[in-house]
Amino acid sequence: MSAVNDTPALSVVRCAACGRVDTPRRSVCSACLGSQLEALAIQGEGVIASFTTIRRAPTQFRDRAPYDVVVIDLDAGLRVTGRLDPHSSPAAVGARVRLVSVQGSDTVFAVSQT
Amino acid sequence: MREVSIVGIGSTTFGRHAATPIEQLGVQAAVEALLDAGIDRSRIGALYLGNFISGPLNGKEVLAGIVADQLGLPNIPCTKVEGACASGGIAFRHAWLAIASGQCDAALVVGVETMTHAPTAQTTAALNCAMDNENDGPSGLTFPGLFGLAWRIHADRYGTTREQVSAVVKKNKANGLLNPLAQMGATLTDEQIAASALICDPLQLYDCCPASDGAAALVLVASDRLSGTQGMPVDILAAVQTRGSPSIGGHPDLCSFDATVSAAGRAYQMAGIAPGDVDVVELHDCFSVAEIVDSEDLGLVPRGEGAIWAAEGRTAVGGQIPINPSGGLLAKGHPVGATGVGQLYEVVRQLRGTHPNQVRDAEIGMTHNLGGAGVACTVSLLRRPA
Repeated sequence: MSAVNDTPALSVVRCAACGRVDTPRRSVCSACLGSQLEALAIQGEGVIASFTTIRRAPTQFRDRAPYDVVVIDLDAGLRVTGRLDPHSSPAAVGARVRLVSVQGSDTVFAVSQT
Repeated sequence: MREVSIVGIGSTTFGRHAATPIEQLGVQAAVEALLDAGIDRSRIGALYLGNFISGPLNGKEVLAGIVADQLGLPNIPCTKVEGACASGGIAFRHAWLAIASGQCDAALVVGVETMTHAPTAQTTAALNCAMDNENDGPSGLTFPGLFGLAWRIHADRYGTTREQVSAVVKKNKANGLLNPLAQMGATLTDEQIAASALICDPLQLYDCCPASDGAAALVLVASDRLSGTQGMPVDILAAVQTRGSPSIGGHPDLCSFDATVSAAGRAYQMAGIAPGDVDVVELHDCFSVAEIVDSEDLGLVPRGEGAIWAAEGRTAVGGQIPINPSGGLLAKGHPVGATGVGQLYEVVRQLRGTHPNQVRDAEIGMTHNLGGAGVACTVSLLRRPA
């Protein structure tokens, strides 16, 4: 887990050549084929683009079902997939969320209290 | 590029064939297609076979060569292609390309899958191989979930209701009752659909296609080499394949697939026709809401009105643009690697005028096959000869 001021942060990559920010686990920049990708921690804040409640889960998630999968449009400009914290307020399209935990690519968000 | 025609078709029923080895299903469909074409096997210059998950579910690969061997085909290039649920459509396009480019004069296309013998968890895991498992898989997303996401946006943006989406389910299930190849035709009510189990809200059980076994096959021949074949050839006006994003994050709109929009655009241009010229469509309704999204992406229905058109009966046989008279994936079934070839089988029967759920005077037909999270798509346009 990476953290900025104890707040969980998302790990992404930034191309040293053209500056494109993208999801990690890639070896070249898809915009310019630059191979120098720098790790970058960004704030996990954004809005819910859509969500669904998974009731028939893949085996490795079965003990957590039902759970909400959320698609988040991050303020940083990336669209990412994550899960809603089971203790979060209910999801809604357009609701603001923040990242509450990260383990590798497994990201959990919660609806921000306004 | 040479003109290419479909001169032979074959298909098993879609449903349960748990006792039949996967290669046997492919062979059954292929023999039917070869006999229908009336072509000598020695003339087949290439075989393309669409299959997605025989590796994980059957421990069997190189199916193209196995099927060709059992058919006694000559020493020809035999290629298995994989593009998730678009594998069959891609196999067809490659066979078309081989003939159009002059590499061979005739080719066999087979699509085949077996799924019902495996436990649901194993099938789900196999299908999930087509997801971006670096970025989307770790969230616990499933393919039904992808369409739950799409439905949520369609409802939010256009006010689409449960009852409107149910119109797609009722139409396709009713169409399936008329198709002897279909796995799950049914007469359903709004109440039955609304009472079915939630799978991925708002998606419910009757919004989902079943797991299926099945195979379909086509014989393609250069249009100037038709002598020595029998039956009514159907002309291929366009065979297009496109790539979209493999990841959720790469889709700017979660209720539209770029790969479908671009494939349709290129297909209309290649054929020199407009969406309004299409008489019948078999499209990729893996889930009820997918038919709504697809019909809009293909330009057949105005954006946001896919569910309304279904509810008004405009996509039924006899309506403005009949969609999935076969029952579609929802009712005919979805043996994933076979589906794209099965769609072409259905449209050829429509254009021959021999379909059990015939669209009257159908002259131009369309198929649409979509794979993964929209990463692969094929759109084909066929025409009955004048």
